[in-house]
Amino acid sequence: MKNRKQHLKPQMQNKKVKLTRADHTFNIVVDIFMVIILIAIILPLWSTITLSFRPVDFIGSNLDGMFLSPWKWSTAAYEALLGNNGFLMAFMNSFKILVGGVVCALVLTIPMAYVLSVQSLPGRKIINMIVIIPYVFNVGMIPAYLLVRDIGLINHLPAVFLPGAISTYNCIIMRQFFVGIPGELKESARIDGCSEMQVLFRIVLPLSKAIVMTIGLYYGVAFWNDFFNAMLYLNDSYLNPLPILLRNILIGSGMNENLEVTAFANAPINAIKAASVFMSAIPMVIAYPFIQKYFTKGTLLGSVKG
Amino acid sequence: MKKNQATAVAETKKQRSKLCREIIRHRSVYLLALLPLVYYIIFKYIPIWNAQIAFRDFKAVQGVVGSPWIGLENFREFFNSFYFWSLLRNTVMYSVGKLLISLPLSIILAIAIYECTRPVLRKVVQTLAYLPHFLSWVIMYGILLTLLAPGDGVFNDIIQVFGGHPIDFLSNTKAFPWVVLFSDAWKEMGWSAIIFIAALMGIDVSLFEAAMVEGASSWQRVRYITLPSILPVIVTVLILKLGTILDAGFNQIFMLYSPQVYSVADIIDTWVYRQGLLEFKFGLATAVGLFKGVFGMILVLFANWISKKATDSALF
Repeated sequence: MKNRKQHLKPQMQNKKVKLTRADHTFNIVVDIFMVIILIAIILPLWSTITLSFRPVDFIGSNLDGMFLSPWKWSTAAYEALLGNNGFLMAFMNSFKILVGGVVCALVLTIPMAYVLSVQSLPGRKIINMIVIIPYVFNVGMIPAYLLVRDIGLINHLPAVFLPGAISTYNCIIMRQFFVGIPGELKESARIDGCSEMQVLFRIVLPLSKAIVMTIGLYYGVAFWNDFFNAMLYLNDSYLNPLPILLRNILIGSGMNENLEVTAFANAPINAIKAASVFMSAIPMVIAYPFIQKYFTKGTLLGSVKG
Repeated sequence: MKKNQATAVAETKKQRSKLCREIIRHRSVYLLALLPLVYYIIFKYIPIWNAQIAFRDFKAVQGVVGSPWIGLENFREFFNSFYFWSLLRNTVMYSVGKLLISLPLSIILAIAIYECTRPVLRKVVQTLAYLPHFLSWVIMYGILLTLLAPGDGVFNDIIQVFGGHPIDFLSNTKAFPWVVLFSDAWKEMGWSAIIFIAALMGIDVSLFEAAMVEGASSWQRVRYITLPSILPVIVTVLILKLGTILDAGFNQIFMLYSPQVYSVADIIDTWVYRQGLLEFKFGLATAVGLFKGVFGMILVLFANWISKKATDSALF
């Protein structure tokens, strides 16, 4: 990462080489493309944000709404949401799923990945097969649904994160990282009398902060965003996590039982919808800089051959 | 002869005791593996066991093992149904379409980020381009509603400014597939570009310098150095994507579709969901899921094998 600057701009280092006209057009084309991409990314986000701040007495088209001046913004939609028990409860449920899920996932994934990285382990190939087979052979949602129902997890929050608590893909990425840690370090610890458990906790984990963060964040994003498991396994509206509530608000079904704000809110219904979209996205947006710090490394590791 | 046998027996004994010693030496590793393996058996292997209801007339009261066998009846029902070909067509169409749109886009984006001479612009685009990947499809649906809704979406306002008629993008069978393809491209383009950016960073800069000294223009550098250098990565990505051709994006379609567009929107996974969990035809839905699973497994293994042959990199 450190030498990226030199990597990215070869023509800047070598000032002796004169830029030709073709080079100039090239740079302009690149710049225009980048600006188009930038606008294409920002426009949808901007239209949602401005919609969420739209006052109830707004007159004009949505196109006008996108240029609504900040002095006319209304926070009524956010006040309505934050003053609503259903919304706060859903936020708490999502938070519980996030924390429970990430802890559970890491407690299961780290040992599994470490075990698979111990090259000298008798039976490692068998364990590897056990891990890979369900990854390659996916039997679909119904058999998984029957399992969750049979072990009595329906209407319990862990039903949302337990079925995905080990993602084999994440496990493979992590194993790849563990394999890359110099064997001498582990070997010398073993010679000094460390058990494998101690090797994992004293040698491997302290060297693996980046990958543990990356994988933890991947899991966190997945659990925070999950709506499918929640929809399948949670029928009680008190247990609804944020994505389910958001979906109900957006498709307008059961709006009254989920969100009693509609009748007396002084914000347009579309503004409330947009505000709930934005509120659901906020934790991701806050976590995003941290995610970004680590994920390039993680994704790179995923592309390394196994 | 006898002596040889004796040494052979001794040899195997020696090996066996060595294996035992190795196992004992690694006992704490097995202890570490215990909990995850129990997890695998419960959450990954019991579903595989449950998948046998594809061959049974599943009744909830009788359970998985108690329901009567009916052979391939469930599969026959699916293959003979009017849905089979349309589901397969939609599924393949969406995954191939997504590949055709986002693969070139993400390659171009990666090259543009790599070549951009304005550090601020580059940094901003790079940061924002990854963001949509982390938004769920529920949130995406909310954003798409503000853009595409028939009465009050931004796109329809623009169409009306130019004198056109408003389109209900999400319930129009002609517009819906494009909404799916482009919303996916918008969400995943930046994320898919990462792997190409990583590959670009690995290019030896002296190649560019040499080309510049020789008088190659920027266009020629892209054509003759940049593209060929990342070709192996492109091939790998392409092959691995082809392995998951039957996964057309359940979450996306499920959030966006509605009964009006089932004919063009329904993919295998959404159909399985409706048959199984809304109409309680567990046997039929599992049979379809199993069909997809087996077919998908063959594709993934094949893709992995080709990838190993062609580019020496593989997923597992």
